[in-house]
Amino acid sequence: MSETLDLSLELKRMIIKTLELEDITPEDIDPEAPLFEEGLGLDSIDALEIGLMLQKHYGIKLDSEAEETRQHFASLNALKALVEAHRDH
Amino acid sequence: MTFTSLCHLPWRRAASSSGARPEIHALGDAWLTTSRLANEIDRWHAWLATQPQGAWLLYNRDPALFCPALLALWETGQTAVLPGDDRPQTLAAMASQVVGRIPERLPDEAPRSRPMPAIPATLARDAIAVTLYTSGSTGAPVSVDKLFACLEAELDAHHALWPLVGGKPNDAAVISQVSHQHIYGLLVGLLHPLCAGVPFCARDCGYPEVLSARLEEAHAAGRTAVIASSPPQLARLPAYLEWAARGRIERLFSSGAPLPQRHAARTEALLQAPVIEIYGSTETGGIGYRRQRDDTDWQPFPGVEFRIEAGTLRLRSPFLSDAPSPPQWWAQPDRAEANGERFRLLGRQDRIVKVAGKRVSLTALEQALHECDAVLDARCVTLHDDQERLGAIVALEADAIPQARDERHALLTTLRQHLSQRFEGVAIPRYWRFVDAVPRNTQGKLDNVLVKRLFADLNDSRLPRWLGDSHPAPNTVRVTLEVPEQLRYLDGHFDSLALVPGVVMVQWAYRLGEQYWGKLGPFRGVERVKFQQMLRPGTRCTLTLERHPRHIAFRFSSGHASGQEHYCLGKLRLDEVTDA
Repeated sequence: MSETLDLSLELKRMIIKTLELEDITPEDIDPEAPLFEEGLGLDSIDALEIGLMLQKHYGIKLDSEAEETRQHFASLNALKALVEAHRDH
Repeated sequence: MTFTSLCHLPWRRAASSSGARPEIHALGDAWLTTSRLANEIDRWHAWLATQPQGAWLLYNRDPALFCPALLALWETGQTAVLPGDDRPQTLAAMASQVVGRIPERLPDEAPRSRPMPAIPATLARDAIAVTLYTSGSTGAPVSVDKLFACLEAELDAHHALWPLVGGKPNDAAVISQVSHQHIYGLLVGLLHPLCAGVPFCARDCGYPEVLSARLEEAHAAGRTAVIASSPPQLARLPAYLEWAARGRIERLFSSGAPLPQRHAARTEALLQAPVIEIYGSTETGGIGYRRQRDDTDWQPFPGVEFRIEAGTLRLRSPFLSDAPSPPQWWAQPDRAEANGERFRLLGRQDRIVKVAGKRVSLTALEQALHECDAVLDARCVTLHDDQERLGAIVALEADAIPQARDERHALLTTLRQHLSQRFEGVAIPRYWRFVDAVPRNTQGKLDNVLVKRLFADLNDSRLPRWLGDSHPAPNTVRVTLEVPEQLRYLDGHFDSLALVPGVVMVQWAYRLGEQYWGKLGPFRGVERVKFQQMLRPGTRCTLTLERHPRHIAFRFSSGHASGQEHYCLGKLRLDEVTDA
């Protein structure tokens, strides 16, 4: 339990730092809300940055179809699931 | 296979010719070929026959869905109106100019078998092929009609310079990372491969992992890749994808904004291919191109003439749609200087910037901010060399200035929501500074020094956020500060109750004293220090500094004019300041 909570917080902090979201704290990121557009308001440049961040910190290489990546980036929980699945390998 | 000009319906020629090369089939369903398109185009014909004639709104992220609808519109003598994005506000603004929106997918009721549609032998060169939208100098969207003649002339020029068939290579496959809703992506990623009869990608290839997979497929099918990309994507091309193993890349195009030289060099090294930048605009199409390894100046496209007038670029071009005859000189709002046959770009003449390749009017952003309650003045600025992110400096009525993080957060949400009705995500400023008045230098201007100061905490997480100052008395300065959420010193202090350590406040007082009064004597410690309230991230405060011969009195107090509470106050002991 605490491990997944920690991962959630870790990802939130990493996103805030990577994307220089100067006004956002981890508590502001709703784990179920969309990260892009109407949710956290991230955009296409941020998506590329998150891709680089996942590789750097977790060694994750994204899927070769953009649609899959869009699904992984749908929310913080989706992103967390991606990291967890990768760890289980 | 040879190159066929656009108005001769190259996609039809390929379908009726002896058939595709066998390797094409090895490319798989992420790829499109002219032979795969013909059937889909015919089905769109059947659906369009049941609909009114005119201009149609067409937006689709996937080339596989976009392309057959576009070609069917053209074959039936109709125009495609291409919005740059599909936000409801964007589409609603165009609704009155079109007879309808092309559905995302071919409706099921479209007949599967149908009589062969009447296909014209050629397309009328003086008809409007597409209407594109861009942001004009005032920020209001401006529509640009592109005649078939202009698209055809530009595609012919691409074929002459960078042939996909009949030259080297003779076996290309085109991978586009950019949207075909814009002129560059439409020409380079979609229409050029159609005219050349070579395969191109059926789906979005914006992510580097997708690009890598498509390269691998092209390589396995024995094809040489040509890539259409953009500066933000090339700047973030990851080294870990082992590009060298992905086969030969003939060349890479980049357009939308100038590519910083270091990114051009890095991309060439990673992908082992020349990076060709195309400079142009929605109105003009391509104007010039360059490979930075060889020359940083721009070579005009064949047929494009330029001259410099009052420091800005003027041109005559076969790619300009509304060029009257005899052609007039088109005023391109970019500052430039000539260098023989070539020219050098020196920046925009107006307040338009390119953010992630999208044209954004700073004036329009500021006007939109002005419409919000309590906003007195607003200035938007670019912050990084790459101009990828915007900052906003917003002057507010005193009551509306946020004093704590929750207030700031609520205000930001309101402002962002307001802007998002009219602007795409990348255009919305990422960094915000709220002030009582936009700071000005002695010439009355917001200059670069002030802008750097307002956003200095972004580059140094040890600093407080500086939001302006005043000098209420000689040897006294009052500085407005805000505690950044990302302040380094908050890390690991109290997780749930982050606050600024007292020693950090003392250090800020000392550093700011030096900023205003120059080098102070050596710091000899503090005296009479009192910590009264906790200073939390997101809080706005005022630091008052009073200079005395042997010490500096400092006081961090709340931003509220009335009911002042103090966070920290005391004296910094110094040696007497000498004038030496």
